[in-house]
Amino acid sequence: MKARALGRLTAMNVMLTLEYRAAVSVFILNSVARPVISLLIWLTVSDQGVRLPYGRGQLVTYYVVLGVVSMLTATWLDETLPQHIRLGGLSPWLLRPAPYVFYYISENLGQKLVNLSTLLPLVLVVAFAFRADLRLPTSPLPWLIFAASLPLAMAIRFLLELVLCSLAFWVEDVEGVLALQSVLGAFLAGQYIPLALFPPSLSGFLDAQPFRYTLSFPLEVLMGTLSAGALASGFAWASGYCLVLWCCCRLPWRSGLRAYSATGA
Amino acid sequence: MTAIDVSDLGKTYRYHHKDPGLRGSLSSLFRRQTLEKCAVVGVSFAVEAGAVVGFLGPNGAGKTTTLKMLCGLLYPSHGAAQVLGFTPSRREPAFLRQISLVMGQKAMLWWDLPAMETLLLHKEMYSIPSGQFRQTVDDLAELLDVGPLLRVQVRKLSLGERMKMELLTALVHRPAVLFLDEPTIGLDVVSQQRVRDFLRQLNREQGTTILLTSHYMADIEALCPRVLLIDQGRLHFDGSLATLVERAAPPKLLSAVFARPVPDAAIAAALNGLPLQPTDDPLRIRVAVPREQTAAVAERLLHAGRLADLSIEDVPVEAIIRGIFSETATGGGLQ
Repeated sequence: MKARALGRLTAMNVMLTLEYRAAVSVFILNSVARPVISLLIWLTVSDQGVRLPYGRGQLVTYYVVLGVVSMLTATWLDETLPQHIRLGGLSPWLLRPAPYVFYYISENLGQKLVNLSTLLPLVLVVAFAFRADLRLPTSPLPWLIFAASLPLAMAIRFLLELVLCSLAFWVEDVEGVLALQSVLGAFLAGQYIPLALFPPSLSGFLDAQPFRYTLSFPLEVLMGTLSAGALASGFAWASGYCLVLWCCCRLPWRSGLRAYSATGA
Repeated sequence: MTAIDVSDLGKTYRYHHKDPGLRGSLSSLFRRQTLEKCAVVGVSFAVEAGAVVGFLGPNGAGKTTTLKMLCGLLYPSHGAAQVLGFTPSRREPAFLRQISLVMGQKAMLWWDLPAMETLLLHKEMYSIPSGQFRQTVDDLAELLDVGPLLRVQVRKLSLGERMKMELLTALVHRPAVLFLDEPTIGLDVVSQQRVRDFLRQLNREQGTTILLTSHYMADIEALCPRVLLIDQGRLHFDGSLATLVERAAPPKLLSAVFARPVPDAAIAAALNGLPLQPTDDPLRIRVAVPREQTAAVAERLLHAGRLADLSIEDVPVEAIIRGIFSETATGGGLQ
C-alpha cells in the first residue's frame, strides 16, 4: 500500500509541478546559469596563470555536473513545511493513514522528475560547448560509485532540513535559520567554490562537515580525485550523518507533534 | 456500542501577549509574556455508534479544539479520549482508516488538480478495492450531484461545489466516525439543504456516527437529536434539543390584530406589565409572553377588544440558543 500511495503522491506532485511551467523554466535557467558563470570566472582566473588545485578539465567537469547533482540533492522543505506547521497545513497529512513525511518525499521526487527532464537537455548543451575540456569517466566503476553516493547525499540534505524545519513547532519564525543554513550549506557543500580550492589548512574541517556529502563528495567521486581510503572514509562519514540525522529527526518531530496546535485547520 | 468516549478532556494553549503597534513589537522582542488559555476544560461525554450529535457553542467555545483532539490532531493537556477503542493522539493507521474530519473550507483536496486525483490517492492510502472505489465514488457523486465536476480543477469550482467535493473525499473510504466542523459554512440555502439531506441519508444507510459543529441552527435541528452545549471550554448541556429548549424556558410570541382601536390602558391591563414589541400597524400588538402566562394573557386580550386575528408562536430555536449563549457568557445559563 505504502509504495503505491507514494507512487500516486509523486505522480500528483509531477502534475502539480507541470501546472507551473514558468516557475520551472526560471528555476532551470538559474540552475544552469549559476554554475556556468562560476565556471567562466574560474577559467578566467586559471587563464591568468593563477595555480589552482584543479586543472581546466577538472573545473569544467565539476561545474558541468554540479547543476545535475545540485538538482538531484535539492530540497524545498523550507518553502512549505514551516508554514504547514505554523498555519495548520500539516493537518490533512496527519489525518491520513500514511506517514506525513510521504507527502514531503513525494513533493521532492515530483519536482525533481520535472526539473531534471528540463535540466538535462540544457546541461547537455553546456557539456557540448565545453566538450574539449570535459573529463567524464569512461569506465563504469566511477559511475557506479557516483550513483551510490547520490542517495546518501539526497538523504542527508532532506533529513537535515527536516530537523531544522521541526523548529517551527516551537519558534514563530524559522525562515531565518533556514536561510542561514541554505547559504552556509551551499558554501560548505562546494556550490560556489569547489572545496578543493579552499586553503589546505581547512581540509580536515571540510572533510568532516556534513554539507560536503550533499554535493562535493559525489562530484569528487565522479572526477576520480579521491584515493580508495578517502572514498571509504567519505562513505563512512556520509552513512554516519544519515544515521545521526535520522535519529535526530525522530525526537523533535515526536515532541513537536505534541506541541502542534493545528491552527485554523 | 460506544463509538466516542471522552473523560475529563482538556486542552490548554500557550500564547504570547503583544501590545499593539511597533512599540509593542519591540518590547515583546526583549520581554515576552507567555499566557495560557484553557480552550477545553474537563469535558466528558459518550456517543453511541450510529448517533448524530451536534456540538453547539459560540466562537472560541472549544468545539473545534475538542474535534481536533478526537481525531488525533491535538494532544490533550489532560483527560482521556477513546474513539472506536483507539486513543486518537496515537494516530494509529487502523484508527485513521476509520475516521474522517471535514473542516469547513480547509482542504483535503489539492487546489490545482481535479478532485478525482485526490480520490485516487485515497484509494491507495486506504487500500480501497477498485470495484468498491468506483461504486462509492459513483454513489456519492450522484447523491451530491457533482459527477461532472470530478475532473475539473478544484480551484475552478464554486464554494459549494468544493465543500461537496470535500465531503465526497472524506467519505470515500466509508469512515465509521465522521467529524464535521461547520460543513455548511458559506453555502447557499439550497446547497445547505442538500448537504443536510446527504448526511441524514449517510447516517441512516451506513450507520455512520456523526459529530457535527455548526453555527447554523438549521443544521442542528435537521440532523441532531442530541446536542452538546459547550462554552468557555466547559460542557453546559448534554441532551436532546427539545430538552435544551425546554430548559431554556423561552417565551411564546403572541401577536394580536384588533378589528378597531383599543385604549392603551385596556391593552396594558391585559398584558399585565409585559413590554410590547414595536409593530408598523397601530391595530397590531406583539409581545413575548412567559409560557405559563400565555393562556391567561390571550384570554385577557380577547376581552380587551374585538380581535381580527390572534397567533401564538414559539421563538425560533436560533434565538433561544443565542439567549443561552449570552446567559452563559454573563455567568448565568442552564440550570
